Amino acid sequence: MRVNGDPYPLTPGLSLPALLHALNIDPARVAVAVNDDFYPGARIPDRALHEGDVVEIVRILGGG
Amino acid sequence: MSPDILRLGGRTFTSRLMLGTGKFTDFEVMRGALEASGTQIVTVAIRRVELRAPGHDGLLDALNWDHLQLLPNTAGCRTAAEAVRVARLARAATGTPWVKLEVIPDARWLLPDPVATLRAAEELAADGFVVLPYVQPDAVLARALEAAGCAAVMPLASPIGTGRGLRTPDLLTTVLDGAGVPVVVDAGLGVPSDAAQALELGADAVLVNTAIAEARDPVAMAHAFALGVQAGRAAFLAGRMAPRAHASPSSPVQGVPRLPDPEVPL
Repeated sequence: MRVNGDPYPLTPGLSLPALLHALNIDPARVAVAVNDDFYPGARIPDRALHEGDVVEIVRILGGG
Repeated sequence: MSPDILRLGGRTFTSRLMLGTGKFTDFEVMRGALEASGTQIVTVAIRRVELRAPGHDGLLDALNWDHLQLLPNTAGCRTAAEAVRVARLARAATGTPWVKLEVIPDARWLLPDPVATLRAAEELAADGFVVLPYVQPDAVLARALEAAGCAAVMPLASPIGTGRGLRTPDLLTTVLDGAGVPVVVDAGLGVPSDAAQALELGADAVLVNTAIAEARDPVAMAHAFALGVQAGRAAFLAGRMAPRAHASPSSPVQGVPRLPDPEVPL
């Protein structure tokens, strides 16, 4: 599994909310993609993560 | 006189100055600049959360979004696929389908890839996005982007962050000629007269970031840009005079009091 471009150890039964919790990320302030599925942080599903999943967690920054 | 309204992406705006939120020294200065500019459309970027020490930027908290249209960009994307993915993340992050589409493979000049931009625009427009693509001032490409369903086209004035002003006004004119969607000049404007020039030529709006964020006094410069945009738009609506090759006196040529001078024929 990869999270934000880097390999991430997949523990048995790891879910998307549990991943954010483990990373100490407030879901309300981010958006998440798991492969080709896109979720507002506040509405991430209780989805199990699997080997080979590509997870992207982003936030809004200043830009032009 | 009926109000001069900008119609864009199914919404209406009275300001024709869009602002970026990058490069400001702090939120207070940024907020002051946005207020002084009178802007109603504000761009933001989408970036990965740092996994080691996740914090949050606080940008969204710093602004009152009741009266602002958020315009996330796909800055940093090098391919159509990357831009489409970031646009979908941006929609999830912000709740708005508006996206400033940037596909830029070249970091030195930050010039957009026209083919990949069109490809991404087609996919995003078909997916319900309000697409505002950043492009070179190319009329053929602009018409193709319109046909793809883009809500506007955003030709550059000069490369991003250079502040060199409108380098190809003749090309911008070809984009404006027959445009079916608003044309927003984006990137490279350095001073309010650059913005005025774009609006005088008929551009519907401009987008500015660096010129304001890197001004000695960003709040004052934001105000100055607001005035430049207003002046340019008013001049466009008023209709400029036709340029002439030779001088044409403004005062009557008859009846000038003269001294007799053998050197000058009457």
